[in-house]
Amino acid sequence: MKVGFFVGCNTAFNRPDLEQAVRYAFPALGIELDDLEGQSCCPSWGTMPSVDVVGWCAVGARNHTIAEEKGLDIVTVCGSCYGSLAESKYKMDTHPEIKAQVNEILKDIGREYKGTSNVRLAFYYLYHELGPDRIKEAVKYKLDGLTVALQPGCHTLWPSKVYYDKEEDPFHPRVLKEMCEALGATVGHYTRLIDCCGMGAMRSTDMEKSLKLVEKKLISMKNEVNPDLIVTGCSSCLIQFDTAQELLRSGKKINFEIPVLHIMQVLALCLGADPEKVTGLAKTDVSRVVNRILEG
Amino acid sequence: MSSDQVATGVINLSEGDSSLVNEIKELGGEELMECIQCAKCAAACPMVLAGFPFFNKRIIQAIFLGLRDALLDDSSIWACQSCNRCTEVCPREVNPFEIIQAMRRVAIREFALPTLSIEGLKSLYDTGHAVYLAGAGNTRAKVGLPEKPPSTVANPEALKELQAVIRKTALADLGIIPMDESGVKETCEV
Ligand code: SF4
Ligand code: SF4
Repeated sequence: MKVGFFVGCNTAFNRPDLEQAVRYAFPALGIELDDLEGQSCCPSWGTMPSVDVVGWCAVGARNHTIAEEKGLDIVTVCGSCYGSLAESKYKMDTHPEIKAQVNEILKDIGREYKGTSNVRLAFYYLYHELGPDRIKEAVKYKLDGLTVALQPGCHTLWPSKVYYDKEEDPFHPRVLKEMCEALGATVGHYTRLIDCCGMGAMRSTDMEKSLKLVEKKLISMKNEVNPDLIVTGCSSCLIQFDTAQELLRSGKKINFEIPVLHIMQVLALCLGADPEKVTGLAKTDVSRVVNRILEG
Repeated sequence: MSSDQVATGVINLSEGDSSLVNEIKELGGEELMECIQCAKCAAACPMVLAGFPFFNKRIIQAIFLGLRDALLDDSSIWACQSCNRCTEVCPREVNPFEIIQAMRRVAIREFALPTLSIEGLKSLYDTGHAVYLAGAGNTRAKVGLPEKPPSTVANPEALKELQAVIRKTALADLGIIPMDESGVKETCEV
């Protein structure tokens, strides 16, 4: 098996330890990664999609064609990349006039969007292509004895019509939960599970309001689950949960810290990756939880 | 009409701009008129929870009323998380998220866009990434990765291709960012 790795911006520049986790975990599970050399930004919501539909799709389509030429699906760990690429694909596949205008633009650079590659989110890809049981067999270390709270991420769920990998009921997501349980964790349910973390456009527009959302989520997690670890399905959620806690503590909004990792980082650790490489940029103190995983 | 007036409930309908509805429809909000103001989208929207004065249902209502200035004066449309909860729950397939995007497109045509969006667009054009941290080479090296990711930043031919694509889009016609000179910034986090 081989897939195209769409690394995106935040993972490449902000959390390359997450990039390393993907580069470790996929091959360790027998899946080869192709770099989709020459890929660009997805592009994300506040830029091209806010200017014009065709322009957004054209920039997205250029990325799609790199994967199409290789006959590969696109895999990403970022919710924004996942959402933007899946939506631009959906628009072009369901609106022939948009696809035609995009291909008119792409003609000049010798490319054509066909619509033959799917956009996949890394942990959904692994869940669907390998299944939790095969992943369980492959890991060296487990999460036994650890209680986790989940942060699936908005773009992993909605709008379900644009995604190749779907939850049966996006308002009661199960895939991330089953993945963590397969790795041995106890997954606690909390009331604000599917709430937004406030990262992204909201954080750029109004930091204070954005922090209010992540604060509500953290308090709900702490009171209802008291987790050893927060596991996210999205790189933006990872950054928000990992960086907001210090701000909230210094603002006297919370008085605790919960370590945060992306599911691909957890998986890489369980498969035997070097913790410095795959979790080394975490702002929350993940050392204790990492040691507990490695000590079994 | 200011966002304050709207917030206090005083709306002079004769001041409304009736052309706004058509503009929204042309810029991607085709299903606008299907909205019955049932507020299902509002019940799911994180902007409501965070306390923004305008959110999906209210933005649509303001468009119906032609309150162009009120929407442009307020930053709410730029806080939309593109999370698409609203699209998922709307019983009329209005696609409220797309209406908000269309409202951003209206705003951009009046140059009423946040500085961060301009910087993101410029960074996308100059580097291929809307989020770009020039100093990330060190961070990448720290975890054992090459200084540059295998994207447009490490591949000048690919960047030229991307720029050729962007020059053919509405972004070029609107002239929001300079496309002749490169002004690669140290950081851009949009
Ligand atoms: S956009 Fe849809 S969900 Fe929202 S008020 Fe209109 S009809 Fe209801
Ligand atoms: S996409 Fe925007 S308007 Fe719709 S629910 Fe999310 S934040 Fe609210």
